[in-house]
Amino acid sequence: MGSRPQFSPQTLSVLAALFEQPSAWRHGYALARQTGLKSGTLYPILIRLADRGLVEACWQEEPVPGRPRRHLYRLTADGLATATAALAEAEPARAKARPGVSPRGGRGIAAPSVP
Amino acid sequence: MSWLSRAAATAERAAVRLVPAARRDWAEAIWAEAREVPPGWQRLAWRAGGVRLIAKETQMVRRTGTLVLFASAAAAAAWGAWPKSSVSISHGAADQGDVIITLAMLAGLPLLTCRLLGPPDNRQARWLRVGSYAAILAVMSAKAVTDMFVGAVPRGGIDLRTYDVGNSNGGLPVPGTVSGGPTWGGEIIILVITASYLAVMLALTARRAKVAPATLTIGARAGLVLGLVMYAVDPLGGANTATNPWLHGSATDPLVALAWILLFSAPFVAGALAGKRCYVPDDPGQASAARSWQGLAAGLVCNGVGALTVTVLGTGTTALMLKSAWLRGWLYHGQHLTASALYGRELNASGAVVFYALICVAFPVIGLMMGPAGSGYANATGPQPDGGGPGSPPGPGRPEPIPDPPGGGQIADGDAGGLTALRSG
Repeated sequence: MGSRPQFSPQTLSVLAALFEQPSAWRHGYALARQTGLKSGTLYPILIRLADRGLVEACWQEEPVPGRPRRHLYRLTADGLATATAALAEAEPARAKARPGVSPRGGRGIAAPSVP
Repeated sequence: MSWLSRAAATAERAAVRLVPAARRDWAEAIWAEAREVPPGWQRLAWRAGGVRLIAKETQMVRRTGTLVLFASAAAAAAWGAWPKSSVSISHGAADQGDVIITLAMLAGLPLLTCRLLGPPDNRQARWLRVGSYAAILAVMSAKAVTDMFVGAVPRGGIDLRTYDVGNSNGGLPVPGTVSGGPTWGGEIIILVITASYLAVMLALTARRAKVAPATLTIGARAGLVLGLVMYAVDPLGGANTATNPWLHGSATDPLVALAWILLFSAPFVAGALAGKRCYVPDDPGQASAARSWQGLAAGLVCNGVGALTVTVLGTGTTALMLKSAWLRGWLYHGQHLTASALYGRELNASGAVVFYALICVAFPVIGLMMGPAGSGYANATGPQPDGGGPGSPPGPGRPEPIPDPPGGGQIADGDAGGLTALRSG
């Protein structure tokens, strides 16, 4: 019996985007641009990842004057380990996929090299 | 800032308040981020995603569907139960009061329960609520029809004499009118029973009551069997003389014996099964208390559902027999009744509907006693909660602990406590 993939392609793309700079805080719009996901898809994924303790979130401490504070995200230590394993596991499938195109037609991302 | 932007900002803030507190940051985040998105279609699409997220997190589709379903059912039931213009003032006032107060309770009590004990957090609880609501609305409509029939004074002839015999204490009614009708005292008792049923059912299905889904399933299934057997024994409740002999329960009838046995054994068995399925890994004292609670809930649900089932079917049959020749043929098949004899039976059955109030009080009391007895039996004879070793995982054939409820937009329950209750297998 084949094992069910742990993450959907969309979730993997979010993990991959966060994985590129694991220590950096990223905001939602940047992640959306990088993954090609719409806000209605991206945020539920971030919520699920945060619920599982794979992503941590915080509010920007020094917002740009005249702008609201932004919500920032990055991988936790657990998230980093999980992303490493999940991306490594998904690598063969991603390699087969047409380069630069995500399964849902969004802008694809290059799979990071897994350390 | 244009008025449109201000209106949008206000709408956004209002929408965020709809979201459960634990998720509010995410809704605020998506709105805050919208300012970074280039204006135009892109920003609109971003905001649309925010609306989608909020709709999902607030379970708006389910809530709207529930509201529409309840409003439709309540309107239909109220239309059926609302007194017609031909009834007397006292009759009309009592029936109007009954409809208005029942609907107010149906609409208001869930809000109160939600505030005190939390919303239902599983499918079984939601279905039990839907079933109970449907039953209460159906009984309200059926009762109005029978009340109307009991209060309608025949224009004359032998029917009027039959009516006078059946209402010897009713004074001198005017033929051809609808007089008398339900008494305020009786209405208040029925409303108190309805309120008690609603309150108990809403409490047992609320999240913080910690009644396991399996307990609700076991109790409801056993209750349905009990109610159906009770109905089969005597479809017209207290008016068993009004039915055909094959339905007329006698003390020697096996079906009657089965009904009596079920009345006591169904909540006992439900309590025992619910108790057996309750699993607390470490603490025997806590395990015993948890089993007792599950047993009590199962017994109460069992006989409550049983009473509601037989009441809905019984009052429904009585109300429909007044309108359906087919149903009268089923109830009195093989008998050749004159119109007057038939009227007497209909009058008898309609007047005896009040018997169901007695069932609705007595059944849950029996369930309340037998359910904990069943769980006590399970506690004494069942497997040890720790399975012979502290922390040992449940093995094959043993109950498994219920997983934490999925996030799914629900606020995490801060007082989950040590009780581990079980899902139905």
